[in-house]
Amino acid sequence: MKSRRVRFSKTGMGKYISHLDLLRCFTRAIQRSGLPVVYSQGFNPHQKMTFALPLSIGVTSECETVDIQFEDWVSDAEIMEKLSANLPMDMQVLSVGDPTPKASEIVAAEYRMEAGYNGNIDKEQMNGFFSQTEIPVTKRTKKKGETSVNLLDYLRSWEITGITDTGFCIRVIVDAGERNLKPELLATALEAYLAPIEITEWDITRKRIFVCPDGETLSEFC
Amino acid sequence: MYRSKLEQCLKRVQKPARYIGNEFNSIHKMWTPDIMTVAFCFPDVYEVGMSHLGMKILYHMLNEREDTLCERVFAPWDDMEQEMRKEGIPLLSMESAKPVRDFDMVAFTLQYEMSYSNVVNMLDLAGIPLRARERTLDDPFVYCGGPCAYHAEPLSDLVDFFVLGEGEEMNSELMDVYKTWKASGKSREDYLMEIAKIQGVYVPSFYTVTYHEDNTIASFAPNREGIPQKVKKRIVKDMDNTYIPEKLIVPFMEPVHDRIMLELFRGCIRGCRFCQAGYIYRPVRERSVEKLLQVAEHSIEATGYEEMSLASLSTSDYTKLFPLTDGLLAMTVDKRINLSLPSLRVDNFSMELMEKVQKVKKSGLTFAPEAGTQRLRDVINKNVLEEDLIRTAKIAFSGGYNRIKLYFMLGLPTETETDVLGIGELAQKVIDAFYEIPKEERKGRSVSVTVSTSFFVPKPFTPFQWEPQNLISDMEDKARMLKNSITNKKIVYNWHNSDVSFLEEVFAKGDRRLGEVLIQAQSLGCKFDGWTDFFDYDKWMEAFDLCGIDPAFYAHRRMSHDEILPWDYADIGVSKEFLIAEHERAYRGETTPSCRESCMHCGAAQFGGGVCFEKSKS
Repeated sequence: MKSRRVRFSKTGMGKYISHLDLLRCFTRAIQRSGLPVVYSQGFNPHQKMTFALPLSIGVTSECETVDIQFEDWVSDAEIMEKLSANLPMDMQVLSVGDPTPKASEIVAAEYRMEAGYNGNIDKEQMNGFFSQTEIPVTKRTKKKGETSVNLLDYLRSWEITGITDTGFCIRVIVDAGERNLKPELLATALEAYLAPIEITEWDITRKRIFVCPDGETLSEFC
Repeated sequence: MYRSKLEQCLKRVQKPARYIGNEFNSIHKMWTPDIMTVAFCFPDVYEVGMSHLGMKILYHMLNEREDTLCERVFAPWDDMEQEMRKEGIPLLSMESAKPVRDFDMVAFTLQYEMSYSNVVNMLDLAGIPLRARERTLDDPFVYCGGPCAYHAEPLSDLVDFFVLGEGEEMNSELMDVYKTWKASGKSREDYLMEIAKIQGVYVPSFYTVTYHEDNTIASFAPNREGIPQKVKKRIVKDMDNTYIPEKLIVPFMEPVHDRIMLELFRGCIRGCRFCQAGYIYRPVRERSVEKLLQVAEHSIEATGYEEMSLASLSTSDYTKLFPLTDGLLAMTVDKRINLSLPSLRVDNFSMELMEKVQKVKKSGLTFAPEAGTQRLRDVINKNVLEEDLIRTAKIAFSGGYNRIKLYFMLGLPTETETDVLGIGELAQKVIDAFYEIPKEERKGRSVSVTVSTSFFVPKPFTPFQWEPQNLISDMEDKARMLKNSITNKKIVYNWHNSDVSFLEEVFAKGDRRLGEVLIQAQSLGCKFDGWTDFFDYDKWMEAFDLCGIDPAFYAHRRMSHDEILPWDYADIGVSKEFLIAEHERAYRGETTPSCRESCMHCGAAQFGGGVCFEKSKS
C-alpha cells in the first residue's frame, strides 16, 4: 500500500463541479481505470482519497491535488496514463508523485483574477484599493458562523498584471489552509470599492499552492 | 456564441452543474454542413432527465449514425430560465451550447402529463413557433415520443408528429427520410407525408376532428389520401438484438437514479387494471441472461458506477431471475457494486431473493397492495392476497427488516368506506405479524409500517379509461377518514393534498382543444407542474377559463364504451373489445390470470413475439 499524490487541473465548465461531485467523479474514474486502489475497512468500504485544499465553485485551477492509496506494484506512469484516460474532459492529470509535504502544512495560495467591465478603471484606483488600511469582509465558517475580518490581514502580496478599457488582471497570494481566504471575498470587496463601475464578469484561477517550511519563505506545495 | 454568456449566468444560479455538460461518455460531434442534428429534449430538470433510460438509449443510438448528431436538452430551473430570458439566451443544447431552434429535429420525450407545460415553455424559450402550423422551412420539426405520446392529443396542435411505441428503429427511419427530403428541397408537408407511411408515426394535422354539441367527438378521420385511420405502435421484437447503450453518460451531480439500469424485459404479464404501462408495453419480451450479464459487465467497465438496479415493470416476474442475480452478484460483489431490486411483487417474494439483495447492502422494503380489501384488489386485478403479504412481511421481519412501506390508491372504481378503512386494517395486520414471530427469531426490537396513498388517475388504454375520476375533495375526505381510523403509533400515514391529480387526469384524457389551454397556461407562467413548489392550480383554472373550456368535462365524466375517445387513433395492439371485457370483469369482481398462466387474447400476439409465443417455443 502506498499513497500517491495526483496533481490535476480543473478547467472550463469544470469550475462548476462541487467538491462532493468531484469526489464521486474521481471514485468512478478510478473504478473505470481498473487501477488497484486500497479500500477502507468497515461496513461501507470506500476508496481512500484526500483532496488537499477545497476549491470554490466557479474557480478554475492549475494546481489541484488528491492523495490516493494504491497497491504497491502500480507505477506512477500507469496511474498517470489510466487516470488521464478516464477523467472527464475538463480535468487533466498533470503529474503523479510523492505525497509530501502534508496538506496540513499549506499556508497560502496564488490566484489570477481577471475582471471584465464597462467603464474606465485605472491603476490609481486599483492601487487605492490595496493601500487602504482596512477592508472589512464577512467570512462564513461552519464553526464560528459569520465573522467580520480585515481582508488585508489575509493578503500576502498583490500585483496588477494588466489593465485595459475592458478589464484588468491581478495576481494575489492569500492565506490558505487552516487560515483561509476565498478569492471571491476579494472579488466582492473590489466590486464594492469600484462601484458604480460594474464588473460584469470574473475569471478566477488558482495558480499555485504554498507551504512555508522555514516560517519565512514560501515554497510550492507540489 | 452563447457559451460565455451562459457561463456568466451560471455564477448566479443554484446547482450550476445542471448546465455544464462535458460529463464522461457524453458525445461531442462536429457540426459539419451535411450532418443531421437532433435535439433530444427532456421536459424536466437535468437530474430527472438524466435518470431516464429511454433517453440514454436513443441518444447513444442516434449518435452511432455517422450522418447524425444528437445532443441533450433539459428544462432550465426557474432561476436559470430567468437569467437566460434576461440575457437574451435561447434554450441551448448541453453538448455544444447551440440554440435548439438551429437543430433539424427537436424531439421531446413525454413521460408524464404534468410535463406538457414544460414542453410549451421550452419551445417558447427556444424561440420556436408554438403552433405546428406557424412553423416554416427555417424551423425544426418538433416531435414527441414516450408513453404519453399515445394519448397526447392536447399537444397535437403544437407538435409536427408523434412516434408511438418503442423508438429504437423508428427514430433512425425518420433520419433516413429526412436525409432524402432535405436534399429534395420539398415542403414540410412532403416530409410529413413521407414519414406518415412509417408504422408508428402519427401526424395530427393529417386528421380532422369534429365534435357533437355536448363536446364529445363526432368524427376523427384522416384528411389526406393514404393516411391510416389508426396508427399502430412499434415494438422491438427481439430484445437481445436491439441497441443497448453501455457507455452511459456519468453525470457530475447526482441524478434521481444514479446507477446502471439493467432492463430485463419490457411489458408486464400481470394486467393490473389501473396500470397503463401494463397494457401499452405489451407483449412481455425478455432479454436472455447471457445478454444481460454481458451488458452489465460492459456497463460497469464503461461507467465506474457503484450501483446497479434491475429496471423493469415487475422485476421478480423475470423467468430466469435467480440465474441472473447469481451471475450479477458474482460480478458485482468483488467490485463493491450494490445491486438493488425494485418493484418486488408480494406473491413471489422469497427469502432466497431477499438474501441475494442483502449480500451487498440492505435496502428498504416496499410493497404495493394498492387497495385495502381483497374485493377491491380483485376489481383492479392486483392479484395479491392478504396472506401473501403477511407471509412476506414475516420473512422480511425474520430477515432483519423492521420497516415496511405500503402503497395504496384512493378513488379506485367501486371503492367504499370498507375499502378505505381496510388500508389501515391491513397495515395493522402487518404490525401484528411482527409480534407473532417468536422474539428470538425477529431481529429488530420494534416495527414500523409507513402507509402512503395516492389519488387514482384513470388512464387511457386501461380497462378503467371510461371511468370518471373521483372529485379531489371526495378523495381528500377518504384520506382524512383513513387518517382518523389509524391510532397505532407504529403506523405512519402519508398523503398529500393533490389538485395535481385532477390536472393529470384532464391532460391524460383530454383532446386537441386543450392545446390552446396549454399555450395560455404557459403565458400565465405554468411550468414544472410535477413540482409542488411550482404547481399553481389557480393559474391553470384561469387558463381554462380564458379558453372557455371546462376541465371537469374530461376528468369527471363517465364515458360510454361506444364513444369516440380522443386517443382512438393510437393502436397499442390491445383491442378495445378486450379492454371493455376487462372493464366488465372488474365490475363483477373477477380477476384475470397473468399472461403466463393463460392467454386472454388481448391482441398483442399480433406483434409476433414475446410471452405470447413462449409456450410454443418449449
